Amino acid sequence: MPTKLKTSATRYAAVWWLLASNAVQETFVNRGSNIIFLTGKAIRLGMTLLFLFLFKQNVSEFGGYSIDQVYVFFITYTLIDQITQTVFRGVYFFTTQIRRGDLDFVLTKPLSPLFLSLVGKPDINDALFLIPTVVVCGLIMSRLDLVFTPQNTMLFLALFLNGLLIATAFHIVALIVGVVTTDTDGIMWMYRDLSRLATFPVTIYQQPLQFILFLLIPIGVMVTVPAQALLGSSLSVTVLVSFGIGIGSLLLSLWGWKRALRTYTSASS
Amino acid sequence: MFRKYAAVFSISWQLGFAYRASLVLWRARQMISTFLALTLWSVTYASGGSAFSYTRDTMITYIFLTGILQSVVLATALQGLTTTIYSGGLSIALVKPLNVFGFFWVQDVADKAKNMLFILFETAFFYFLFQPVITFPPLNVGILFLIWVAAAVFLNFLISLLFGAFGFWSPESWGPRFLFYTLITFTSGGLFPLDILPKAIQVAVYLTPLPYLTFVETQLFMQRLTQPQTILICLGYVFWISVLGFLVKYIWGKGLRDYTAAGQ
Repeated sequence: MPTKLKTSATRYAAVWWLLASNAVQETFVNRGSNIIFLTGKAIRLGMTLLFLFLFKQNVSEFGGYSIDQVYVFFITYTLIDQITQTVFRGVYFFTTQIRRGDLDFVLTKPLSPLFLSLVGKPDINDALFLIPTVVVCGLIMSRLDLVFTPQNTMLFLALFLNGLLIATAFHIVALIVGVVTTDTDGIMWMYRDLSRLATFPVTIYQQPLQFILFLLIPIGVMVTVPAQALLGSSLSVTVLVSFGIGIGSLLLSLWGWKRALRTYTSASS
Repeated sequence: MFRKYAAVFSISWQLGFAYRASLVLWRARQMISTFLALTLWSVTYASGGSAFSYTRDTMITYIFLTGILQSVVLATALQGLTTTIYSGGLSIALVKPLNVFGFFWVQDVADKAKNMLFILFETAFFYFLFQPVITFPPLNVGILFLIWVAAAVFLNFLISLLFGAFGFWSPESWGPRFLFYTLITFTSGGLFPLDILPKAIQVAVYLTPLPYLTFVETQLFMQRLTQPQTILICLGYVFWISVLGFLVKYIWGKGLRDYTAAGQ
């Protein structure tokens, strides 16, 4: 790695660590609310798993997949959703930042404003909840009546990372919308609801929605394709096109962010 | 007096359409949620037969009804009440020549009326897409159904007031509110009907006011309740409205005594 890039990466890592430490302290100020929040998250996961368990007992096949295979789609969705919520929580505070003119202070700092807006406020509650989520998902995966070959697992990991790139692009698009319209909340909640469609394989939806979810708003490439790769079933979108969508959407969102920043006019400070 | 409330309704209605993009996004989100549930169950029953003691038609009717009821009952204009109270914005309501609860109630009803306008189009869209076979109940059951819906709307109003009351003492209501909405998501039966859950969980859920918000109405409409169950649920409504009404009166009385609004 070139020395300049290494120094930059170390500096950003140090800044992120400082921001994460601040977030931890902030979280522990409101202990009661946070415990209730974690309880809510646990109930949500527990109820969904209970539903899937009952589903398995009553239904043998779902949209061409066995119920064990449906679990893999659900787990892939849960992990991508949980990781992105943990890392990109700052996006949910961007509306306030824009409306109060606080983005001005971010722009004056010798750091990328995108970095600070995107990952500058990690969600400690979600980070804590990520641990039991991964453990539970791992336990479920180990008990499924499925065989995961090393090749499929490697491909899954690569496509999973590609899914995270797409999720990153979605969050950058939300920031762009925030700069242009001063509101990120609407688009973020829309993204969350749309991504929920991938809780189950996107192939269950009829055309043209399936086409939209694979190629225009690529929730399907983000969640369904990695799960299909792990299961060894035929991919709805080829590996090459999936990576093209992942890398392309990220590059496009970065370009959009630069363009949007040029239109930014401070609200007030 | 009626003219004052009518004016509040008119202003709230117009305010509801002031942020059109937010409104359209909100309705789109509700539609996605209903669409997900309808697709999930359509695919489940695609090969025919029955599961969870429901057939395809009864399950689709159930999800269809729940989607409509959730938009009517759970939509509220009082989402930001905690912030309104904590930031001192409640003073604006208090100085009006109106009962403060009446003022909030009319705002809430205006918000529901606005949502119902969208429901007409959304229902037509989903009806065309999923073609549910809806069997309407007899007139007396239909009237009772409407009474239960009205009671559920009022129950949700009381719950919103209770959550809003956090603002008298703390700006932190998001934790309990998140927990409440998480519970509502599952217990109101948006994704699946409550009666597919194990008996113990069903009993626990029936000890709360949550199934009275949307679930029991669907069961009445689909005529899945026996007469003793119907009577018991009627009593349940009376009980929860009385208990929550008393709690609202007590907590708001205490909160209003502690209320200060510096700078307002």
